[in-house]
Amino acid sequence: MAFEDELLDHLPRLRRFAHALARSAADADDLLQASVERALIKRGQWEPGTRLDSWMYRLMRNLWIDTVRAETRRGETFVPPEAGEAIGSAGGQEMAVELGKVAQAMRTLPPEQREAVALVVIEGFAYKEAAEILDIPMGTLTSRLVRGREALMVRLGEAA
Amino acid sequence: MTIDPETLMAYADGELDPITAKRVEKAIAADPALAGHVEQHRRLAASLRAAFDPVAAAPVPPAVETILRDAVKVVPLASKPVRRERPLWMGAVAASLVAGLFAGPLLFPRDPGGVAMRDGAAIARGEVAKALGTQLASAQAPDAPVRVGVTFRDGAQRWCRSFETGATGGIACAQGKDWRIERLYGGVSQQSGAYRQAGSPAAAMMADAQTMMAGDPLDAAAEKAARDAGWR
Repeated sequence: MAFEDELLDHLPRLRRFAHALARSAADADDLLQASVERALIKRGQWEPGTRLDSWMYRLMRNLWIDTVRAETRRGETFVPPEAGEAIGSAGGQEMAVELGKVAQAMRTLPPEQREAVALVVIEGFAYKEAAEILDIPMGTLTSRLVRGREALMVRLGEAA
Repeated sequence: MTIDPETLMAYADGELDPITAKRVEKAIAADPALAGHVEQHRRLAASLRAAFDPVAAAPVPPAVETILRDAVKVVPLASKPVRRERPLWMGAVAASLVAGLFAGPLLFPRDPGGVAMRDGAAIARGEVAKALGTQLASAQAPDAPVRVGVTFRDGAQRWCRSFETGATGGIACAQGKDWRIERLYGGVSQQSGAYRQAGSPAAAMMADAQTMMAGDPLDAAAEKAARDAGWR
């Protein structure tokens, strides 16, 4: 299958990943578009026979981390937990309606926990695959995953 | 026996090997709080998926699909004729094929010593082959008949170089002793120099070179080193 055709098939899942990472629906679709553009430029670096989806997730995640770092440098840090709901209802009206409190809670997580939760829980990657996409050891992945999930349970009132 | 939070989560996700999973099951049987925690993990996972799955079920923004569908239209010369801007040189190929029925070697008519067909592939010849093999973009005579542009490795790790001669431009990649012409562009003018319009053949050539590139184009030192090593 041609590179572009296979990439087309992965777009819906990649878009879901973008929405789990980004601060707003608009940012998420911008991230998706930028990732596809980057993939077309870098396609020579993808080895045929290896998984294109993992390659794309890694590419998207790296693009996203770049923007998060740029925002941090400019002082626009990710939404702190206590401001999460306020921003969700004021700034991201449509997201708040569309995805509700779960998405808002995701956005309060530090980036390294958010990406771990998104890959394993939402995208369904095995721990080993997720660790490879993020280029971190398994132990690092599981500890970020457990901390992210515990924080979400507290926010969403699902803790004991 | 204590079960750490990571292990309990991994159990909820079905990530444990059977022996460890058995061990966790025993601990759960003895401690209802652990069972409750596994249940919380599963509930949270279900709510996360319920929140984000609709995104994957919705249509992808048309702008993104368009980028990909447009990209499909640019087909490498080796597999199919380029649909986007065929005329100029395709005519020359057709003419040379017809001429070849009578004339033996399939050389382009009025060819400045540039391109030949062999076994269905276009190969650089004469001045073009010589320039591709020896000329450095960083040290070209202003009146050189062939000018070399960028040098880079493609996805198959071949050395590739863009070139211009007269109004024709192309991208060729080293294969064995040959420079295989991967793309040709008509209407590339040498004169316009720094100023090139978007959408022009010259811009299309640079965009295609970008797409073929694995990594970055070579700088002057790396270009010289690659040439001195015989493009291996």
